[in-house]
Formats: sequence, structure tokens, C-alpha cells
Amino acid sequence: MADVSIDTRQSPEAIAEFAIASAVPRRMQYRRFSAFQRWIHFFIMASFTVLVFTGMPLRYSDEGWAQWEMRQLGGAPTAGIIHRFAAIVMVTCVLCMVGFFTGILIRRRGRFWGPGTMVPNRSDWDDLVAMWRWFLGGPRPVLQFDRYSFYEKGEFWAASAGVSIMCVTGAMLWYPQLTTQFLPGIFLNFALVNHSGGALLAMGFVFVFWHVFHAHLRPEVFPMDKAMFESGLPLDHYAHERPLEYERRVREGTLDEVLVPEPSARRRRIENVLWWIITIVSLAVWAAFVIFIFWWLGHVVGLW
Amino acid sequence: MSRPVFAAGVLVAAVLAVVALAAPVGAADYSIPEGANTRCFECHAQPDLGTIEVEGETKSLTVTPEDVHGSIHARLDCTACHAGFQPREHMPEETAGWYQQAELEGCKDCHADQFGMYNQSFHGNLVMKEGSTDAPSCADCHGSHDIVSPSAPGFRESVPEMCGRCHGERTETYEDTYHGKTFGMGETTRAVCTDCHGHHRILPESDPDSWVSDRNVAKTCGKCHEHASEKFASFLVHVDVSSPRSSLSVWAMEFNHNLLIIGLFVVGGLHCFLYFYRGLREGIYLSGRRKH
Repeated sequence: MADVSIDTRQSPEAIAEFAIASAVPRRMQYRRFSAFQRWIHFFIMASFTVLVFTGMPLRYSDEGWAQWEMRQLGGAPTAGIIHRFAAIVMVTCVLCMVGFFTGILIRRRGRFWGPGTMVPNRSDWDDLVAMWRWFLGGPRPVLQFDRYSFYEKGEFWAASAGVSIMCVTGAMLWYPQLTTQFLPGIFLNFALVNHSGGALLAMGFVFVFWHVFHAHLRPEVFPMDKAMFESGLPLDHYAHERPLEYERRVREGTLDEVLVPEPSARRRRIENVLWWIITIVSLAVWAAFVIFIFWWLGHVVGLW
Repeated sequence: MSRPVFAAGVLVAAVLAVVALAAPVGAADYSIPEGANTRCFECHAQPDLGTIEVEGETKSLTVTPEDVHGSIHARLDCTACHAGFQPREHMPEETAGWYQQAELEGCKDCHADQFGMYNQSFHGNLVMKEGSTDAPSCADCHGSHDIVSPSAPGFRESVPEMCGRCHGERTETYEDTYHGKTFGMGETTRAVCTDCHGHHRILPESDPDSWVSDRNVAKTCGKCHEHASEKFASFLVHVDVSSPRSSLSVWAMEFNHNLLIIGLFVVGGLHCFLYFYRGLREGIYLSGRRKH
């Protein structure tokens, strides 16, 4: 398998079909993320949701729904304790990820760009342009995704910047006396504006306008992308959706790293139940946030 | 009448007498109180007694025992405050100028300490020295017939609304702070206006003796926030993020954020909607799920 050479000028379909026919044992699945990445994703998802639900009622404290929500949470002080607890979980995840990337940097001897990384390149721009051509009536493009697509890279960097700002401003507001030992009091005002506005930005970005859409609602994966599951995805799906990575792994002989045996029937049934529960809960949360966005639009333009 | 019936009658009368004597002590007595006030209520408890104009405000002349029942002054004579009023139809010379005098001096007899502090305050100065009728005197904050103790339930809760009657803009910016937000959500131990600005002796920020003057503000914050420094206290409490006049830098930051939020939501919303729309039109949702 190691010495398979491929003409990269072929279409991704041709590459994929060649690779499937030549290299891959049957009944294997593609596992996109390591256990570390899946657990980090789980904890960030859980803590982010808790942070949003405990923080938003404070931002909109005038509104009836916010006061109702705060009562359900047991009052503002209790919501504050839950919020801080979730913040600790998220900061821990962020520190773990920083360690993870440091490890990658050391292993690659300081090189963090190149195929398969989060660093944007020319091909991402081409994918974006092709996609918008399609949106505006052009032909459906054959997207040349490597390990991470342009919308995942964009989200990664936006979320990284957002999380950094939220962590720093949140810590400033958690320890205002300490903060003002070093900075003037107006920096607490800045922290408030950024924490509150950044929260709305992150919430809309993750729950409505980007992440949940791409993970649950885009036509190729509706109702949910199973990439975050232990048993992974069918191999042909992988080859079609990430042709460049597939081709690269076949060429480099590293396909084995992401292959796992197909799960047993029992395991698959358990995963399917879990999958439906997560799907229904996420779609309900998504719908709630779409309603929120419509309320927010009306709020901003002064309808109510 | 037979003796047993007479005895029973005496017994019942005795019980009734005891009950009647004990009743005024009970809390739920809405009958006209004993004493001098009885004469007042003979007229003033009547409905439709008409109204009078006091400092531009229309007030009803009807005052029922129920109106004063919950008041901490329920046991005072009406004339303790309405000094010089006679129990008959009041003559103009009795009532003329009474309000101005009563609202300044009427409380002083019993509450000299508080009155002394008020006298030194910004509000007191406006009323006493400049003759303002808009600035608050005792009754404007404490009420009159329904006056309650400041420690009574509901009084503290009413403080932001009370100050907001004149300082509306300040109450609005207060409601944007963590103090105001949590206070509005039922955490009534959180700081209200009077906790930072004081109450009877409220002074403007520019006065060195003010609780919120540069000299004292850190100490005032320190009542709740341990180790609060002057820098800590320089946090802008009353800042209106929607007005560049309030604080240019905070407003600019908020404005930037709003632009970013709207921009990102519009671009992201379009991207997702068009993706969804094309997917629907080309039947990818139904058939092509696993294929490109």
C-alpha cells in the first residue's frame, strides 16, 4: 500500500475509486477524529451550551423570557456559579488544545502549515468561490477538500479568536480587583462590552449561522454528520468528501491511521439511538436559537 | 327572665366586652381608630370628597382608615403632621402654606437627625435654600399617609424607580449594570442607588464629602468589594453604550461589535440559506446524501 503512485491530475472521483479498488480492505470505516479530539469536542460543546444558557438571560435581563429562564436556573447567583464552572471546563479544554498543538509543532519541527492542517491556502479560496458560484446559480462544484474544508478552517480560527477573547474578558470580570491592579477601571467596561457582544456573536455563529448548519443541516449530511462518532464514516463517503486527504493518505501510505473495523451490529444499534437523541436535541436547540435570532432582529430594529 | 338565661347573657356580654377591648390590638382591624382621628375620618372617609391642587399635583381629599392602616405612623394623630387643623371644615388660613411648611418642618420634630442630614444634602439645599418645589423633600421618597419603615419589605425594592422619577437616565444606565440586572431579577440585596450615593445626605460627585467623590468612591465600593482600589472604582458605572457622548471608547467598541455581529450574521445567514436552498432545489437532501 505504501508505494501506490497516483496521477494527481485525475478527478477526485477517479482517485477515490482507484484507491478503494486497489488499497482498502473491505469492512473498514474511516474515523476522522482521535479520541482526544472527540472528547475535547464533547466538553467544549457541553460547556459552551451551558455558558450560553446561563449568560444570555443576564444580557437580556429586561425581557420576560430571560427572567423566566433565570428563575428556572435558580436565580442570578446560582446561574453565575454554573457559568463559572462551565468556564473552567472550557478553559481546561483550551489549555489541552494548546498543549496538543504544541505537541504537533514539536513533532513537525515547527512546521504547522501544509496539507491536512488548519492553515488556509489557495485551494480553500477556490472552493469558496466555486461554492458561491453554485449558490448564485452556477454548476455544482466538485469540491477539493483536504482534511479540513474552508468552512471548517474559517470556523476554527474565528472560534479560536472568540474563545480567547471570551476567556480573557471573562477572567477580568471574574477577578475585577486583580484586573484593576494592573489596568484602569474602564478596561472592565471594555471587558463587559466584549464579553457580552462576543457571546451573542459566538452564539449566533455556532448555533445558527455556521457550525450547527454545517454539522447538521447542510444537504450532504442532514440530519447529522457522524464524523464525531467513534465508529466513523463509510469509506466511500470519506473519499468523496475529502478527496485530497484520501489521495494524500493513499500516496503516503498513512491510510491505516484513520481506518477502523466496521462496528458490530449491537454497537451500531446503540450508536444509532445515541445519534437520533443528539440529532433531535440539537435540532431543538437550533430551532430555539432561530426563534431567538428572529426575536433579536425585531429587538434591534425596535419592533418590540 | 330566668336566672340561668340572665347569667348566660352576662357571660356573653363579658366575653364580647373582652373581645371588643382586645380587638384594636389585633392586626386586621379596619374600623375607625379610637381617639382624635375619629373626628377626621367622619368627613375624610367619605368617598367623592373632591380634590385639591398641591404643587401642581391633584390630590384626593378622601383618606380612609384603610389608607393609613399599613403605615408605620398609623397610631399618630392626623394633627401630628397636619398641625393646626381644627376638627371642622378647614379655613383657608389654616391650610394655606401648610404643605410647604409641613413637608419641610413636619418630620423634624421626631426625626431631627435625619432632617439634619437632609438639610445638608444636595436635595435639602435645593428645597430649603433655593425654594425648589421640584426637588424631593421627605414625603417624596417616604410617602405620606402610606409611609413605611425603610426596612419594611418593598421599600428597598422601590428605590431605583423612586430615584428614576427625576434621574431617569441614571436609573436606565444602572439597569444595564450587573447590580441593576441582578437587582431586577429579584436579588434585592444587590446595590441600589442609595447604597453608593447615600440617602438623607446625598451630595454631588464634585463635593469632596460625597460618597462617590474621587476621595471616597473607592471606600464606598469597598463596602461590598473587598480590596477595591481607586482604579477599581474608576469603572464607569453609569455608561450608556449607545451614546458616544457617554463614553466615546466604550460606545465605539459596542458599535464595532454590533457591526461585526450584523455583518457576520448577514454573510453567514446568506451562506447557509443559499446552501440550504440549492441543496433543496437539486434534491441533495433526498437522494444524494452520500454522493457528490
